[in-house]
Amino acid sequence: MTEVLPDAQPAGTRQAETEPRYGVGERRKRFDALGRVRGTIRYTGDEANPPGTAFVGVHRSTAPHARIVAVHTEDALAIEGVLAVVTGRDLHEVLGDRIYTGPAFADQPCLAVDKTRFVGEAIAAVLATDPDIARAAADEIAVEYEELPPVYDIDDALRGEAFVHEELRPSSVFADLAHLHGVRGTNVNYEYRQILGDAAAERERAATTVSATTWAPPTHHVPIELPSTSAWVDSGRLEMLSTTQTPSYVRQTVSDLLDIPLSRVRIMTRPLGGSFGCKMYDRLEPLAAALAWTTGRRVRIDATREDAFLLTTRHGARVTGSMSADADGNIVAVTSDVRYDTGAFADVGPRIAAKSGLVAPGPYRIAAVDVRSRCIYTNKVSAGPFRGFGVPQVTWSHETLIDELARELGEDPYRFRRRHLLREGDIATVGTKMHSADFLTCIDEVTKAVGWDDPTPRGDGRWVHGKGVAVGMKAVLTPTIANATLNLNQDGSATLLISTVDMGQGSDTIMSQIVGEVLCLDSRRIHVVRADTDATPYDTITAGSRSTYHTGNAVRLVAEAMRSKLLGFAAERWGVPADELVLDAQGVVHEAKELRDSLPDLVRAKFGARGATVTTAENFTSWWVPYDHDTGLSEKVTEHWFAGAAAVRLAVDTWTGRIRTQHLAIAGDVGRAINPTLVEQQLTGAAIMGIGHTLFDEMVFDQGQITNATMLDYQLPSIKDLPEKLTPVIVESAHRDGPFGAKGVGETTILPIAPAYAGAVRDACGVRITTLPLTPERVLNHLADAADPGKAGR
Amino acid sequence: MNEITLDVNGTPHKVAVEDTTLLLDALRRRVGVTSAREGCGVGACGACTVLAEGRSVSSCLAVAVRYDGTPLTTADGLPEDDPVVSSFVDSDAMQCGYCIPGFVLMTKELLSENPSPNDEEVSDHLEGNICRCATYPEIIKAVRLAAKRSAT
Repeated sequence: MTEVLPDAQPAGTRQAETEPRYGVGERRKRFDALGRVRGTIRYTGDEANPPGTAFVGVHRSTAPHARIVAVHTEDALAIEGVLAVVTGRDLHEVLGDRIYTGPAFADQPCLAVDKTRFVGEAIAAVLATDPDIARAAADEIAVEYEELPPVYDIDDALRGEAFVHEELRPSSVFADLAHLHGVRGTNVNYEYRQILGDAAAERERAATTVSATTWAPPTHHVPIELPSTSAWVDSGRLEMLSTTQTPSYVRQTVSDLLDIPLSRVRIMTRPLGGSFGCKMYDRLEPLAAALAWTTGRRVRIDATREDAFLLTTRHGARVTGSMSADADGNIVAVTSDVRYDTGAFADVGPRIAAKSGLVAPGPYRIAAVDVRSRCIYTNKVSAGPFRGFGVPQVTWSHETLIDELARELGEDPYRFRRRHLLREGDIATVGTKMHSADFLTCIDEVTKAVGWDDPTPRGDGRWVHGKGVAVGMKAVLTPTIANATLNLNQDGSATLLISTVDMGQGSDTIMSQIVGEVLCLDSRRIHVVRADTDATPYDTITAGSRSTYHTGNAVRLVAEAMRSKLLGFAAERWGVPADELVLDAQGVVHEAKELRDSLPDLVRAKFGARGATVTTAENFTSWWVPYDHDTGLSEKVTEHWFAGAAAVRLAVDTWTGRIRTQHLAIAGDVGRAINPTLVEQQLTGAAIMGIGHTLFDEMVFDQGQITNATMLDYQLPSIKDLPEKLTPVIVESAHRDGPFGAKGVGETTILPIAPAYAGAVRDACGVRITTLPLTPERVLNHLADAADPGKAGR
Repeated sequence: MNEITLDVNGTPHKVAVEDTTLLLDALRRRVGVTSAREGCGVGACGACTVLAEGRSVSSCLAVAVRYDGTPLTTADGLPEDDPVVSSFVDSDAMQCGYCIPGFVLMTKELLSENPSPNDEEVSDHLEGNICRCATYPEIIKAVRLAAKRSAT
């Protein structure tokens, strides 16, 4: 399947017969593998605390929606070791409305000021000499509330009787939200529409229509590393070390919050102990910055696991959809009403509503669509980005619909999808042309792997067997900006400065492979500097599977610039044209004149010094065409697409409702695998996370309060939840502009898991479940209802 | 306050702890061990695992005074050529790596009790440890390889 790129060998380089260089396409180990195994690499929370550090405990709201009448801090202040207690009102007096931050709407106060909007919102902060004292003292704070009518869910919110925010306050980050400024009397903070053709008329004329309302509950990321932020003031500058995927964003937020220039803000990072979207945008950072700035103390905030559940979640989403076919089985219409519960703060929910709304019809050839995708405030923990960025929730809908449509028409769910899937050069419903999104190979490979056409075992009466398949489609975050700076050291090693955060995906390793490939260097001699906004250049964010493509391209460009520079040095030295020179693993060579110089000699000759550095800097920026205001269509909505597929064979225990995964195969089109080992880990890791979302993973709320915010109560996939057989398949349909053809892969296989399972359950026992997760109880209820036709499905 | 000696990877550390000080806090804040980590605080994820006389302990639930003088092993105390360490490295059994020291120590314990475990025995022993990156396929490979290397 590997497509060989004609330009895989960049001009001006030559493959030399040498030892392995661990370049592009090689299964190089992570450079810090030993440190990760022995636990000696340092994460954010491992840094020592200088004397004078004030540890922060947070007092949290016990009311879902209430005016804050008074905050009593005397008892907390009386505790020995307590240095200060700070309320939202205290911060507001100094910082004004700047304490309301957020990536889409300026609606998140780092401490609630006059009103609280969810159970668990931060109300006041205690600074103490010891973390245990800080937490104990936070419990001694007493808050008087005047309760307001709560908005617990999407239905409450859309009834429009109570409002989580009095008016909408778009932040300055996204220009296209400006028209929402000052809108009052709504809980809907954003709506995306996609209109192609006349879906209502097509549906009217259609031969067959299937409909379903699906629900995907809120879930939590639960990276094992807990969030931690330290902040301090040094010479009038705010410096911070934080667990964040978005150092460049945090720098801007802190600059806005404190009203100081970007040059006076420094955000430092360490490797993250997992994140999956929860350590980005505004988490602990605005509070830490505000406390350090207003008290002058060095502060450290460590979230407990219970705190972490209150910082962000994945959006719960309800989708009411339909899919219609004409008499020949062509898909003529899809409608989709998507409602995202974004909780108390919009966070990046408006972007999720749009970016996933645009793929809500699915990756199929469809004549007409009508999508309405809304982001809705409720009085619950705020929802934000989570691996997949809202797309798993809409995939759950469109894959449920097409599976039912295939069955309704008496067609095979695999072949029916295959017939309609978008191909290279097709136009997606959103109006953008498809390239490097090989759905056909993905679905062919996963069905082949699980033996789709083999007979399904008949079972023993108790256990019944089934097979299911699904695909998923996602657009990469566009437009975004990536920068890279490269220092070639005189000894022929190199130091790469980028602001991509390595959180386990192995970005530091693949970026060095790209540099090594271009410069014919052993990639193990290339060091990648941890994101530090004083040193590493601006990069939009490490998220949305964008880094391999965007930052990878900046890295490719900066290495190519370095190659040109080095060839220029040799041309100058030898008095020959640079285009007669070639760079190979031994250095620069002029073959005709038999001139050769190693990189160390070349750099030393240029500068006359050992240890000198040569620097290049480059930028890569992607572009898009914004959605049409009325139709939501765009001829270039994204820089590229992710295409993934899953096929599963499973057995259902009809006595207990338990599902046993016999074989799960997943495939993702990654363009080109820079490091196949790391790609396979992303494919399988996302799939296993998807198994959790499918079978048991769920945040449970009771009157706005989370009831399972500990790891005893919140179930995650363990080694026991591995499928009996798990097959990852790398599909490589090179992207014309990707670095060596590559695209990202972190989210691709989380998209199709739940619908593949639900299709297999349907196949095994005839019940269609549209509410996640597929717990034993839910499966049993459906089986019982199917046996008793008088009951509706639950 | 109690004066106790924490014997960590063969080095004694005299530390002062309260009756209620957790072993994890004593190791991290007093001894400076950072390979044992708090993930959940309730003994449900295994990131804080240490070995006490070779037996696994969730140090986020254990009281430090009970381990006065007990030989403790943390992952950073294992040498590079330890068969379990080298097997995890060679099997690429890590993504973010935060939980991996816990898996390494659980594997040390397993192989000391059962030098050639089958896959079910491996998953039975490791099911209390959570790898959120879901590196489980590689972890299983690493344990198989470590059993082979330990036997030779």
